[in-house]
Amino acid sequence: MSGKGEVLFEIQDLCKAFGSNLVLDHISTQIKSGEVVVIVGPSGSGKSTFLRSLNLLEIPTSGTISFEGQHITDKKTDLNRYRQKIGMVFQHFNLFPHKTILENLTLAPIKLLKKSREEAEKEARGLLARVGLEEKAGAYPAQLSGGQKQRIAIVRSLAMHPEVMLFDEPTSALDPEMVGEVLNVMTDLARDGMTMVIVTHEMGFAREVGTRVIFIDEGVIKEENNPKDFFEHPQNPRLQEFLSKII
Amino acid sequence: MEDFKLRFYTNFIKDDRYMYLVTGLGNTLAITFLAVLLGIVLGFLVAIIRSTYDKTGKGRILNALCRVYLTVIRGTPMMVQLMIMCYVVFGNYNMSKLIVATLAFGINSGAYVAEIVRSGIMSIDPGQLEAGRSLGFGYTQTMWYIIMPQAFKNVLPALANEFIVLLKETSVCGYIGMMDLTRGGDIIRSRTYEAFMPLIAVAIIYLVMVIVLSWLVGKLERRLRTSER
Repeated sequence: MSGKGEVLFEIQDLCKAFGSNLVLDHISTQIKSGEVVVIVGPSGSGKSTFLRSLNLLEIPTSGTISFEGQHITDKKTDLNRYRQKIGMVFQHFNLFPHKTILENLTLAPIKLLKKSREEAEKEARGLLARVGLEEKAGAYPAQLSGGQKQRIAIVRSLAMHPEVMLFDEPTSALDPEMVGEVLNVMTDLARDGMTMVIVTHEMGFAREVGTRVIFIDEGVIKEENNPKDFFEHPQNPRLQEFLSKII
Repeated sequence: MEDFKLRFYTNFIKDDRYMYLVTGLGNTLAITFLAVLLGIVLGFLVAIIRSTYDKTGKGRILNALCRVYLTVIRGTPMMVQLMIMCYVVFGNYNMSKLIVATLAFGINSGAYVAEIVRSGIMSIDPGQLEAGRSLGFGYTQTMWYIIMPQAFKNVLPALANEFIVLLKETSVCGYIGMMDLTRGGDIIRSRTYEAFMPLIAVAIIYLVMVIVLSWLVGKLERRLRTSER
């Protein structure tokens, strides 16, 4: 685990094109250990693509991403090993429907970290208790509400002891009354010092929990700042327009 | 009624003629069972190669080979394939007919199984692959632990149907001189010069087997539908 404040991600001139459509246009930034970086922007701006590039679910067209000083965009990098260190939470949860909640949590630790079943299950139950879902251990994902599924998805990633957690619009597919329970889990995680990169439309959360907010529009970082100044004194006209529409 | 009894006696009891049906049924079941196994192995292999190519673009040459296989097998009649297997491929070898038939039917079935399984793999939400990969599983591990179990469940009814079709298709085995159930009935007909009794008996045996299998498939389908939801 890196020390607090150390640079984890170094992103340089990241470009991603789908055919002739340039989605990310020379994005450069750093993400430090312990930061909670919130990425906002209009839909289609490239914010999800940027997030997905960080664990190479999208392969960049050009540019480099390094993690703890290692170029992960390099072909020689062991991607599977790298991804074990990066937790990912999706908009649509992507729990494994054919496995129980407990099996969802223990599959990767048993197969990839070579933990014993007992050890993995003990830890999984601890994680379930942490999000208040220990009684769901034997249930299947289809028996859970959206909010419960997303909390399970978060602890499924945590079971791999990631160094960074990526969230791709984690509350966008939820009924409004379930958003809070997921944001609470994320807030707790941030308080515990987890490095997080979050794409979201929850501006209240960005303001409360974020340590830095990035505005991406048309594939470019148009503004990045601490939450207070970001929301109270936006400089970029596109950001001013964006904020006036949603707040 | 007396006449019926006599005909039954002549066709089935006399000279132990029912043994033609018993031996034939044994062969039919053996070929079907072995061909199902071969079909599953081939089918899954081809389906994985094809869907890997569709998803990742890897394995161009293997994918092309698989497409040739699918086109040829699905584009020619089963009976022709069986005779080619017997008289061309193994024409110069004294190969057991059971093995020849198993190979021909297994290779044929594999092509259909492949497309069924491939549709099952493609029906799984791409998010499942992404979730597996982001946890750190490799492509093969994700397929094995996450995608295939779900795909298999989805296609189980279609697979079972394919095997019911296969069971009936083995009735062309007679063309390579193999004594399957159909041929067994036909031999009785040639001995007793009566068509009705042996052929109706053969039809009833097929029908019973198919009804039993369909019933099992239906049961399986209902069980899959109720679990996990």
